[in-house]
Amino acid sequence: MDFELDDAQRAIVEAVDVLLERHAGPARAIELGAKGEYDGALHGALRESGFLELACGEGTGPLEAALLVECAARAGALCSVAASALVAPLVLGRPGDGPLALVESGSTAPIRYAAHAHAALVLDGDRARLVPLPDGSATPVASTFGYPMGRFEVGALSEGDDLGAGSGDRLRDAWRLALAVELAGSMAGALETTLTYVKERRQFGRAIGSFQGVQHRLARCHIQVQGSRWLALEAAHGGGATEASAAGAAYAAEAAGRVFAETHQFSGAMGFTREHDLHVWSMRLQALRLELDGAAGHERALAEARWA
Amino acid sequence: MNFAFSEEEEAFRAEVVAFLEDWRDLDAFFGQGHHWPRVKQLFQAMGARGWLSLGWPESEGGLGKPLTWEYILWDEVGYARAARNPLASGIVAKTLVRYGSEDQKRRWLGPIRSGELHFSLGYSEPEAGSDLASARCRAERHGDVYRITGEKCWQSYAQDMDLLWLLARTGTQESRGAGLSLFVVPLDAPGVTVGPLPTLDGDQLNEIHLDGAEVPVDARVGPEDGAWKIMAEALADERHIQFPPKRVRRDLEDLVDWVRENGRGADPAVRSTLGDLAVQVEEAEVQGLIVLDALRKGRPGIVEAAANKVVHTVVCQNVARAALEIAGPAALADDCGLNTLWRQSIWETIGGGTSEIMRGVVAKQALGLSGRR
Repeated sequence: MDFELDDAQRAIVEAVDVLLERHAGPARAIELGAKGEYDGALHGALRESGFLELACGEGTGPLEAALLVECAARAGALCSVAASALVAPLVLGRPGDGPLALVESGSTAPIRYAAHAHAALVLDGDRARLVPLPDGSATPVASTFGYPMGRFEVGALSEGDDLGAGSGDRLRDAWRLALAVELAGSMAGALETTLTYVKERRQFGRAIGSFQGVQHRLARCHIQVQGSRWLALEAAHGGGATEASAAGAAYAAEAAGRVFAETHQFSGAMGFTREHDLHVWSMRLQALRLELDGAAGHERALAEARWA
Repeated sequence: MNFAFSEEEEAFRAEVVAFLEDWRDLDAFFGQGHHWPRVKQLFQAMGARGWLSLGWPESEGGLGKPLTWEYILWDEVGYARAARNPLASGIVAKTLVRYGSEDQKRRWLGPIRSGELHFSLGYSEPEAGSDLASARCRAERHGDVYRITGEKCWQSYAQDMDLLWLLARTGTQESRGAGLSLFVVPLDAPGVTVGPLPTLDGDQLNEIHLDGAEVPVDARVGPEDGAWKIMAEALADERHIQFPPKRVRRDLEDLVDWVRENGRGADPAVRSTLGDLAVQVEEAEVQGLIVLDALRKGRPGIVEAAANKVVHTVVCQNVARAALEIAGPAALADDCGLNTLWRQSIWETIGGGTSEIMRGVVAKQALGLSGRR
């Protein structure tokens, strides 16, 4: 057991961060978000650098892919790296080609990246299928929740390649693992920007972060963000097994509720405006914590896996 | 002890409810900036009935009604989601009644009473939010005028208002609250610029730059350096109407409607959540009445109002969060009503005094936990 990254993992994270420094970040997320666009350039850069292959690479696996997804979420990346680099390999045995959406069959709710995706992994009971998406398959939906959203008509995703027995569970587990990792990375981004703010923002002659009442609540957030990260990475280390993935997603979804509320509360009026970076991460937390029935859904999955 | 309103008060409530029937299409409690011309018409219609001056003294053209009437009026307007109470007829008018010169009252009270003239609150600044005593916007006296320079931010509705109810520094920076004065500044005056700060609820706050804007000396309300006491008194003028409890009742009813329309009403987990929220709404309602009771008896109601603000706004957020969790990803579309409810609720525990400031008031004034002893 070792909670430190090994040399190879550290090298991956450093290289990913260099790439994200160049291609992602809150300013880019705000710019693309205002236009409802997908970050095709970032997706292309990740693919060309081989990072999307980490989950099924030589000497690397789901844990390394999870580290990539965590870095991307923390950098406010606006592309389907979680679905392409983590979910697809665990379900299909290979990374997704191009932007990939994750959809529950029959859903008419807004779906992340639906209007830009080239394919969808569709969860339909105990089966999953891969559905190619020609342009115009989904209708863009106006949403303030940090991702370009789109909506499919009922029955629009009924074709495609059936991925066989057990594929439904594989997709559910991988999807939950991805949610846990994305939530952990997005929470870290929200908390980091808030910590910067409360150290700089002065009221009553002192930084607001120097008030004990503020410190206690942000410390609690930090502990939960760290808890989310370790549970998510542990689940990835185990290849996205049902219980661990559900536990990671449930813990992170609950933590994200608190982290959202506290980071906004301590970022005050500034954090309620679109000029401040907080919303880049905070609004995504809400979108992520609702997928697959949210914490309640993840908790049911865990209970069923353990005691069914 | 009596929890009921009088017959006369209930009759007034019925009159308000009937009046609001004609304004059912107006949905401006949230996002007033998208509906201002209609909201102004609503205020003018209320003004024509004397409802914007219900609690003003009769000698100043008001109806001289007890605070309960204002409470009932804005509670029902909040429930109808038509509008929030305007600054002009509350804080501004009641301060003018107390501190305004005869000329100021003559100039402004009439058009405020009729719903014609509207104000934006110009207190907060980039470096002075919770800590207003550190305000830096400066008003320098030059003969018959004050020249005002500084920056205000996070002003609600300023893009549509006529006048700014401005807090500015006339004393030294070190004098903190003892060196501040109040001014009335036209928002279209030379040297005044209003810019939008788009917000997460799809509406906007504003930033206001004052670059040597000049106002006559008689635009100052109350004595020079005398703003702090006036502001504290003015806060009491709105404590009973600022957080209408029927707004949270309506929030919950909207959620229940969604649950019914989407066939979720039989789900035991959903029913349990709705029951929990119903209890919280009861708490918000009783807290609102406690504030009203304190003010009616001539008490300042500072602790009661602080507790009420915390409870009311937390219930707003709890209803909204539950709405999002019950509706799931369907609520992520901005055209879903539950989505607006949720995004707007983020602001509630921040605007008008943060929950942290309010809890501090309760801790110090109700629990005696002040100082470092």
